[in-house]
Amino acid sequence: MLTLSILIPIAGALVLAISPKLAEAQARFAAIIVSAVPLLLLVIVWIGFDTSPSAPAFQSVAEAPWIPTLGVAWRVGVDGIALALSLMTALLFIAAVTWPADTMGRTRQYYAWFLFLEGVSLGLFLTLDLLIFYVFFDLSLVGMYFLIGRWGHGDAKAAALKFFVYTLAGSLAILLAIIALALSHDPLTFDMRTLIADQPLSAGAGASLVLLGFLLGFAIKTPLVPFHTWLPPAHVDAPGPASAILAGVLLKMGTYGIVRIPMSMMSETFARWALPIGILALVSILWGALVAFAQKNLKRRIAYTSVNHMGYTVLGIAAAGAFTAKGSTAARDLALTGAVTEMVAHGLITGSLFLIAGAFWQRAQSYDLDNYGGLARIAPKLTAATVLATFASFGLPALAGFVAEFQIFTGTFAVYPWLAALGLLGILITAALFLVMVQSLFFGDLPPQRAHFPDLRGPEIWVVSVLLFLVVLIGIWPAWLLDLIGAGTRALIEGG
Amino acid sequence: MLFLLAIAPALGAAITFASDMRTRFGLATVSSGTTGVTLAVAIVAAGFGWTGAIGWSDQLRLTAALTPMAATMAILVPLIALPVLLYAAGHESERGLKRLIVLLLLFVGGMELLVVAADLLTLLIGWEIVGACSWALIGHDWRDPDNPRGGLYAFVTTRFGDLGLFLAAMAAFAGAGSFAYADLAGLPSPMIEMVAFGILVSAAAKSGQVPFSPWLFRAMAGPTSVSALLHAATMVAAGAYVLIRLHPVLHQEPAFAPAAIGIGLVTALAGGLVAALQPHAKKLLAASTSAHYGLMFVAVGAGYPLVALLHLVAHAGFKALLFLAAGIAGEKAGTYELDRMGFGRALPSVAALSALGALTLGGVPPLAGAWTKEEIVAVAGHRGLWLAAGVMLAGGLSAAYAARFQLMAFGRREAAGGSGPGRLEYCGVGLLAGFSLLLSALWYPAIHDAVATAFGAEIPSSTLAELIASLALVALGLLAGASLARTAPALGKVGTGAALSDWLGLPSAIRLGITRPFSRLATSAAWFDDAVFDAVPRLVAATGKGIASHASLSDTFVVDRGVRLAAAFGVWLARLGDTVGEFVTDGLPRGTAGIVGFGGAEARQLQTGLTHQYYALLGGGAALLVVVLIIVA
Repeated sequence: MLTLSILIPIAGALVLAISPKLAEAQARFAAIIVSAVPLLLLVIVWIGFDTSPSAPAFQSVAEAPWIPTLGVAWRVGVDGIALALSLMTALLFIAAVTWPADTMGRTRQYYAWFLFLEGVSLGLFLTLDLLIFYVFFDLSLVGMYFLIGRWGHGDAKAAALKFFVYTLAGSLAILLAIIALALSHDPLTFDMRTLIADQPLSAGAGASLVLLGFLLGFAIKTPLVPFHTWLPPAHVDAPGPASAILAGVLLKMGTYGIVRIPMSMMSETFARWALPIGILALVSILWGALVAFAQKNLKRRIAYTSVNHMGYTVLGIAAAGAFTAKGSTAARDLALTGAVTEMVAHGLITGSLFLIAGAFWQRAQSYDLDNYGGLARIAPKLTAATVLATFASFGLPALAGFVAEFQIFTGTFAVYPWLAALGLLGILITAALFLVMVQSLFFGDLPPQRAHFPDLRGPEIWVVSVLLFLVVLIGIWPAWLLDLIGAGTRALIEGG
Repeated sequence: MLFLLAIAPALGAAITFASDMRTRFGLATVSSGTTGVTLAVAIVAAGFGWTGAIGWSDQLRLTAALTPMAATMAILVPLIALPVLLYAAGHESERGLKRLIVLLLLFVGGMELLVVAADLLTLLIGWEIVGACSWALIGHDWRDPDNPRGGLYAFVTTRFGDLGLFLAAMAAFAGAGSFAYADLAGLPSPMIEMVAFGILVSAAAKSGQVPFSPWLFRAMAGPTSVSALLHAATMVAAGAYVLIRLHPVLHQEPAFAPAAIGIGLVTALAGGLVAALQPHAKKLLAASTSAHYGLMFVAVGAGYPLVALLHLVAHAGFKALLFLAAGIAGEKAGTYELDRMGFGRALPSVAALSALGALTLGGVPPLAGAWTKEEIVAVAGHRGLWLAAGVMLAGGLSAAYAARFQLMAFGRREAAGGSGPGRLEYCGVGLLAGFSLLLSALWYPAIHDAVATAFGAEIPSSTLAELIASLALVALGLLAGASLARTAPALGKVGTGAALSDWLGLPSAIRLGITRPFSRLATSAAWFDDAVFDAVPRLVAATGKGIASHASLSDTFVVDRGVRLAAAFGVWLARLGDTVGEFVTDGLPRGTAGIVGFGGAEARQLQTGLTHQYYALLGGGAALLVVVLIIVA
């Protein structure tokens, strides 16, 4: 089932790429159908997923030998964390593919790359083999590189190049660390479950070095300050749907990677480094919010809030991984559940925000906040959707962001009170910066050149409605999500 | 089950939103129906002792319960909201009226949620929903950019206070592993301090206490009905309410009482002074709101939450009434400047109803507000004579600005002309006046003793000396206010008066000390981010460009470079292995060369445009690289 949800979109991408006769509308329709298949499969997996405490951590496991001498195999399986993230990923890909886009006459290729990226992104969350994880990690760069470089605007090629090279440099550090970690296990294996159970690298300077390799790579991908400067240009010049995927899915690969590899497989070393990681996360929270506040460009502003939000996530992860600190198991569990909830919530919320930003570009080819105003007059649906998404983004209760951030803060406070207390300033600054943004886009006078600015229409309404419906649902009644995520975090925290 | 109290208004809002009802009477019906149902639910819930619980996860549970004081508040909210919504449906501009009604109903729902909350998480949810609704309501007429700016100011200021509640919740969880009010009792130090002061800061911000008071002025950008509801039964009331509700916990912290009394007294006196100088009708009432909530803070700090609650109830009635009356006068004058009003002749019945409100605000017996204020004098007297004197002085100021408001807004200066308010507006104002009059029964010993018994709390009686001194100050205040209204109609419009009437210069201090430096800091940070953090990758990129200058910068080239990079990396690793010199096998150089060759050949093929081959290549290349490394090891 899991294997199919990786291979079907990739196969779909191949078929699209080699069927030159397909018309634009057909290609889009086919892409939507294919992109929806993984969600369907993952929902089936979810229905069969056992969240009771006695259930095994990884379920729906499938394994096929590949390079037995190296301990490499096609291994897939999910715990609560991976399943929650892959469900979000599958949904967000449907949204991105459905979103009407300007494909610049290369419709088939555009959708092929999206489907390819969907397959590799799901592969990253679903695989249980380190080497395959790495392969998918790198392939995701390739997919995104082409989406930005070919269908972006502005200085898209330079932005794509910077994104590619910067994150590739990070992934090389990860590759080294993966090799070192796998080699330290006897016999050699890339099986994540074995490495989690055996914790092969538990002490010494070597372990710290390997940990730092992982952290460097994942910190670039997440991104954490000061490794974040590839993010704003990549977002600004990317087409809206690609931005949504970049923020919603690709950034999560960094934080998911931290949870899945260093925190799970090297928990003692990770605990030693938890405080510096937490401080770096706090810096990202405050710096991201502060810099976002000064941005005049709609997409740059949202992009920097991603740095802020991923900071919350990493803060929660650091607190959860600090098991030598005096924090109780309950608090660390809360912090990690919050961090994973934040990944899901940020995917849905920032995904919507970037799609909306894409709508602005399609209509007016400008992200400059000063070029807008008074749009509430003529685009009430767009106004309502943006207001809801921004409120969710700065953590207003009854919306998804709050459920995540509240858990992160309360959980972290029991471990690192100062980091959590200072981090609270982040939700104040983001509130101010998003409200200023809403104000300058939608209120006041309508500039004459925007008099014919169209409101959200057709598929845009549907896509945004579904994403924001989930944001509200998670905000009001998150029990179903927290139950799923909790199954994963419980195994990690109490097992570790 | 108790959550129904919050869900009912939200449901009414959803129904109104979904319907295409646009007429004033239609909206009046649906909004009074919703608040009426909420009121009924509140009474039933109080009578049957409903509770509620919703589990989010093992650690997060939303709980709801009513204590007698919470029940009073739960009933008060729809009781005040009903006339205010009737008025809103009749009074406010038709453009966006439905949106206004929907948001006001949501506002009521959020308030009911925080009233019934029995844990800090539920409280926080209601608390911030109310804040967000206030943003949307203050900026209701968004066509004028000043209104949303006012909403932004109000929201950010109160959210700063909300951080205190976040902190309290965090400390409660760290100390007790739970958010429930019931578990806060035994918190160890320093958690109890964080809970007490976190809640106090939140409450002070919500209730417009010093130094957060200026947001209440900016909130006056909203429609009148919004101001009335915001000041009387929702939002601002939330601050004092939470102190009343959590009084048993907060009083465990010995420093809480002096802090609450200090904040309250300073605000009561400063707010009184500001209100006495204000030339703007709604801002005068807004400053008066801060001042009266200050008095409630004093009562809670002195250890008498019931007295604070009774004053909150009385204040809700007369302040909503006065705002609605001010809205009618402002509508007629086309401005809220007091010296442009004076509609005693034009609107005699509104003037009479407003006079009732103003006399209650001024603390004239035998009206309700007078009794509750004298009670605060009495409880302050238990703490010390100086505190009682401070409260009396605040009462005198209250009498002064009440007289000034009434005489300037509804004095007999201009002849009748134009149309008066409609039936719905009268209905709202009349209901609130009736409510205020009814409360005056509290002066009867039999009645207030019964109230004390019902709440199981003590109601202290003031000494005769206190009563005489206090009433003398009220009389003096009334005279002073009357004379100011007559002799200095332009008071507070120019010079020092104008500076003082804007919260004694506090907003400028906030602008110069916080807002502007923050904005500069953000701009510098953005510059630093571009100039410094991005310098390293830019440098690397520039070097890369130099090396690659012979080739085209097409996207396929970039991919090519990625592959070469990987290959070069493999070479480097291989060399590393070589210098270690442990295993120099034949496979190593061959493997490395293989990768480089393979990568180069494939990269060349990429330029044919068959880009889908590339990802297979990268994956394969990576795998090969690993194989080589394994051999090395």
